[in-house]
Amino acid sequence: MSETILSLVGVDKFYGPIGKGVHAVKNINMDIKKGEIIALLGSSGCGKTSTLRMIAGFEETSRGKILLAGREIQGLPPVKRKVAMAFEGYSLYPTVTVRDNIAFALKSQKLPQSEVNARVEDVARMLEITDILDRYPTSVSGGQQQRASLARALIRDADLHLLDEPMGQLEPQLRTLLRGRMKHFIKERGLTAILVTHDQTEANALADRIAVMEDGELQQFATPETIKEAPANLFTGTFVGEPPMNVFDAQVQLDDRKLAFALSDGVSLTYDISDFDDAVINRLAQTGPIILGVRPYAVHRGDDGAGATVFANQWLGDQSHIAASFAGGSIILVEHDRADVALGQNIQIKLTANDLHVFDRDTGRAIIHGQQVV
Amino acid sequence: MTLVLKNIKKSFKSEVILDDVSFNVETGKTLVLFGPSGAGKTVLLRMIAGVIDPDSGSIEIHGRDMTDVEPEDRDIGMAFQNFALFPHMDASANIASPLTAKRQSKGSIASTVQKVAKLLKIDHVLHHKPKELSNGQKQRTALARALAGEPSILLLDDPLRNVDAKLRFEMRLELPRLLADQNATVIYVTQDYKEAMALGHTIAVMNDHGIQQLGTPKEIYQTPANVDIARLFGDPVINLLDVNPIASAAGGVEMTLSDTSIRLNHGYSHAIGRDCILGIRPENIAFCDADDPLAIPVNIEAETPLNEKTVTLVTTKRGREIMVSRPAGSIAPASGAAHIKVDDAHLLFFDRAEGGLISPDAETRINGDVA
Repeated sequence: MSETILSLVGVDKFYGPIGKGVHAVKNINMDIKKGEIIALLGSSGCGKTSTLRMIAGFEETSRGKILLAGREIQGLPPVKRKVAMAFEGYSLYPTVTVRDNIAFALKSQKLPQSEVNARVEDVARMLEITDILDRYPTSVSGGQQQRASLARALIRDADLHLLDEPMGQLEPQLRTLLRGRMKHFIKERGLTAILVTHDQTEANALADRIAVMEDGELQQFATPETIKEAPANLFTGTFVGEPPMNVFDAQVQLDDRKLAFALSDGVSLTYDISDFDDAVINRLAQTGPIILGVRPYAVHRGDDGAGATVFANQWLGDQSHIAASFAGGSIILVEHDRADVALGQNIQIKLTANDLHVFDRDTGRAIIHGQQVV
Repeated sequence: MTLVLKNIKKSFKSEVILDDVSFNVETGKTLVLFGPSGAGKTVLLRMIAGVIDPDSGSIEIHGRDMTDVEPEDRDIGMAFQNFALFPHMDASANIASPLTAKRQSKGSIASTVQKVAKLLKIDHVLHHKPKELSNGQKQRTALARALAGEPSILLLDDPLRNVDAKLRFEMRLELPRLLADQNATVIYVTQDYKEAMALGHTIAVMNDHGIQQLGTPKEIYQTPANVDIARLFGDPVINLLDVNPIASAAGGVEMTLSDTSIRLNHGYSHAIGRDCILGIRPENIAFCDADDPLAIPVNIEAETPLNEKTVTLVTTKRGREIMVSRPAGSIAPASGAAHIKVDDAHLLFFDRAEGGLISPDAETRINGDVA
């Protein structure tokens, strides 16, 4: 087991008086292990940036503790925290070249010049900015400035690397490649990184664990696989994943042999009860109105099943995205080959019980994932 | 043919903006203008709208030359990036404005507004003034206004740009149905290749003041006219590797990739003896066993999920980076040493100096076509 490098214990942030001001971050508890890449993921205003700024020391905590390598740091100024940062607005020095901006991060280590040069070239190659190393920050594009700032942070020796929307301004053709390279770079050096992003694709690509935030609260803190297969609630289920999770209002109908999910428009999904764990059946028997969720990759076309009418079939070169009218709404399917489906065609939708997610309609909390009771 | 552009040229002062642009759009079809900012896409839209005149060339709508036709007489609906909503009117009145001008009955106007607003998921903000709307909502209001008038031609300038990812995805799926219901002829500007492929019957790839390639999404994805276009379509980006194909002693074509000699089973004789860039899409490379005759040894650097795919970044012995993608959930090695092979039915060869696609033999076209 890796040691814990950072702990957030009951961290609150109010802008304004405690208890009265805007409650931006609500009782966050997290332990982050050395060598992990963590993504704080959420839409704007969810509290992710405030959380990062408290870890960095740019914002004070209103309540709670932050421990870095076992030491409480919430009172320390940023420079005393042994934290490397690439923040928007935490800008490059305009009077020196990109190379010197990056090398500046190594100054305190008193390395030989050749070693400094080699490290700068190395990180610059990784981020595709070798051609701008001898230019001044104001003469390069926003995307290049962002990468220079990222390089300066990643090259530093620190307990923690904090990266605020690190890929936000990159051209799309570079994004997937640089994500792979950056993940390799961070892992190879055993760095611990926390990145803030609103882009679930980026969080999934880079992070070992994702902290999904909404309305100041930590909704779920888990691996990308867990979030995909066992989202804690409807928010997490529908926020993470592209195409988004399909969701339907439903009622549970149980008898001795059959389980049915009654959807709108008279659509009923029926399953033989003997295929289910008793625990799942017992839990379903207690539910009120539910929301049934299924990820697009788990929706299949079959010879029998519930009828749906295709209204879109969009081929993106390597995937087909199909949308069909279903149960008073629509359902999305993903297929990895070019799907031979015409608009207006009726298809049969197969939903395997193992791929269904059941949420409480009132609270949004997950109740069942496949054969697992939450 | 609803819309015909012939040899359009335009300069501002000495700067060439459009140099000899021609295309046709059939009734009920969508043409996507795809390209970087500054390629001239928006100028072209404004010309069709009648706000800017071309220096030379002609625009015909329903067979009629538009040279002296005023914008309001062209039966065109527009949604541009800067929204251009009437600030003193609420969203509902903005959407209704083209209908009010046509003197439709109140009941029919209300039902059209409701229908379009519901589809674009702004029916809950119909009574908000523009300043109370988010940018995404303003953009959808402008789009709703353009759709409500059911014009014969719709000009849509990146209408989903400010819409958040999830909604953009839903609208990308739903918009074509609405456009088809109206039998609208559409010119759609976007910089998002997925939107271009999903919405366009035809895509015009614009760069350097002109159209570099005009084709169906399938043609542009499978036979991009040059390296630049190949790079603009597909995520992860296409792998590009320098190769020098030679004639194989055993017949066919041979090339060396990272010290591994590969004999191609398909055509490609057109590439023999030329300095080429090999273009191979990440989904056309797979992991294989070491004893596969086409196996190339690689080292796995990182694995990153990408929507419903898994992307693996590998490096060859010579340090060349290659991206491999596969459907999420499928089994493959995740770290350490591994072997990959390319699917030789889907290779693209580009001229290394010029960047243009070296047109494949007839045989390759037949074998390489997956449709």
